[in-house]
Amino acid sequence: MKRFKRILERIVESILTVSGAVTTVTILLIIIFLFREGLGLFRSPAVEKGYALCVNSSNTVDHLNSHQIKEIFDYEIENWAELGGRDEAIEVFRFDEIFSRYTDEELGADYELLPDKLGEVITSSPGIIAFLPTQYLPQGMQGVKVLRSDRITPADFFGGRQWIPTATPAPQFGVLPLILGTLWVSIVAILIALPLGLGVAIYLSELAGQKMRKILKPTIELLAGIPSVVYGFFGLVVLVPLVQKTFGLPVGETGFTGSLILAIMALPTIITVAEDAMRSTPRAMREASLALGATHWQTIYKVIVPYAKSGISAAVVLGIGRAIGETMAVLMVTGNAAVMPRTLFEPLRTIPATIAAELGEAPAGGAHYQALFLLGCVLFFFTLLISVSAEAISKRNFNKGL
Amino acid sequence: MIQAKNVDFYYGDFHALKNISMEIAANTVTAFIGPSGCGKSTFLRLFNRMNDMIPDTRLTGQCIVDGSDIYGKGVNVDDLRRRVGMVFQKPNPFPKSIFENVAYGLRVNGITDKEFIRNRVEESLRSAALWNEVKDKLKKSAFELSGGQQQRLCIARAMAIKPSVLLMDEPASALDPISTSKIEEMIHELKKDYTIVIVTHNMQQAARVSDMTGFFMLGELIEFSDTKKMFLNPDKQQTQNYITGRFG
Repeated sequence: MKRFKRILERIVESILTVSGAVTTVTILLIIIFLFREGLGLFRSPAVEKGYALCVNSSNTVDHLNSHQIKEIFDYEIENWAELGGRDEAIEVFRFDEIFSRYTDEELGADYELLPDKLGEVITSSPGIIAFLPTQYLPQGMQGVKVLRSDRITPADFFGGRQWIPTATPAPQFGVLPLILGTLWVSIVAILIALPLGLGVAIYLSELAGQKMRKILKPTIELLAGIPSVVYGFFGLVVLVPLVQKTFGLPVGETGFTGSLILAIMALPTIITVAEDAMRSTPRAMREASLALGATHWQTIYKVIVPYAKSGISAAVVLGIGRAIGETMAVLMVTGNAAVMPRTLFEPLRTIPATIAAELGEAPAGGAHYQALFLLGCVLFFFTLLISVSAEAISKRNFNKGL
Repeated sequence: MIQAKNVDFYYGDFHALKNISMEIAANTVTAFIGPSGCGKSTFLRLFNRMNDMIPDTRLTGQCIVDGSDIYGKGVNVDDLRRRVGMVFQKPNPFPKSIFENVAYGLRVNGITDKEFIRNRVEESLRSAALWNEVKDKLKKSAFELSGGQQQRLCIARAMAIKPSVLLMDEPASALDPISTSKIEEMIHELKKDYTIVIVTHNMQQAARVSDMTGFFMLGELIEFSDTKKMFLNPDKQQTQNYITGRFG
């Protein structure tokens, strides 16, 4: 009997060990997967896959980065001199245009003559830049130079101010507008939710009567359980028109609306965690303070709040974490314009909303897909940074005993 | 100085104190003894209205400190607690520095003069016989002190606002014998400036430190008299039984 028990204990022990190991490994694998997929972006060429750019061989420009390509095809840059080449006007040539210059007969039944004709076009025009599928590339022809396309660099990604993943020929993966959007929405949300949440937590733990607390606490906890899409729906129907009317805006789907909905969503977490922390202040602490002639209010802010500091910072972190990572509700109310936000009262877009909205239409393995994974990595770093710094703050306070 | 007149006290339906009357003179040490749950702590906590925090309690009769009924109308409870200090059973320093613990009572009472606070902190720590042990680490957390030191810190903290009465709720029950004897010595010293009321489980301690002793049982004050008389020749049989340990 005793031996049987010992064996059973061994088995339970090993099961626990294995499950712990499996969990750790799984988490690590997920992170590795995230980074592997994301970092692949920096091996992708700036030009869309399956396409290439060709110029006249007399052109001195050898390579272009993604931003330059976009400027050229948007007719923002009109002379090769701006790109370090000779003083020659740029002539943009898209693949489709070949069909208006030559008839189908001239191109051959199976388009077997297409590369030659493309070569002719390129050779005849010194300022041309042609965007062509690689299968019809006029390879090896004199007078044609295939441009070496730069890879997408970290500077393009982290410093880029434009997020246009579907732009041709060079999609733009500038993450700044998304990072800014996320930060603005989250910071304002926390600025709204924190004072409110702490206020309610103090009220609940110190001032409210028994009855009031019995009603309020479960209600607030209930709020935490509402799915975010429901919050988003509420925001769309109620907050969006409200914000539009109150501030006299052309649209109500703004960053501020997102902040409001996030604040509402973060409140239950902040309140519950902070209230629990404050209520766990030992009675002896309160009594000691009151016995020294401190008023109730002095006791709250001089003893109870400092005592609950680590719990309160946990509440803040959980609140911020919720705000930064929240997807659905924000996606629904912020208007989803991936532009550099200038004010909080215009549509913007956050990182999670971008991932959710675009992953479905990004071909697996493509640059867009990898860019979205890299966005995930950025988000991961944000939350990591927050929890690490919160840990450090609460630890420092604790060591000081203050 | 301190006076209770026909005090009855209830926790909900539970009749915790039954018709208690008592008079305590200034600058004396009075000990309350009795078995657990007899109401001695409850009675002690009436005098700085600490029982107010417990919901659903009720009091009849009068508690008088310095000539006025502390449960009367218009009494400022915070002000009362400034005059009637308290030391608790378990040391309960704040999670602050040693200095800030003692200064707390001064700060919450609106004193901002740094020099004054510094002097008063030193004075209080000296009279709690703690100054020499902590003078070099006033900025350190109070939690770094030993249990006995923490309790003396709490006594210093209570004394810093110069109350006239000091209530002590089993101040040495969580301490070792050496710390206990330090606190007992201190109580002798403090008698000059304070009226002290101490609740204790330890009858030797009551005999050593107090001038007067009250014996409580089941919410009643069985006997209240001079400590020597109480321990040598009590009036009541119940007291005799309790003191000699024949009854728990």
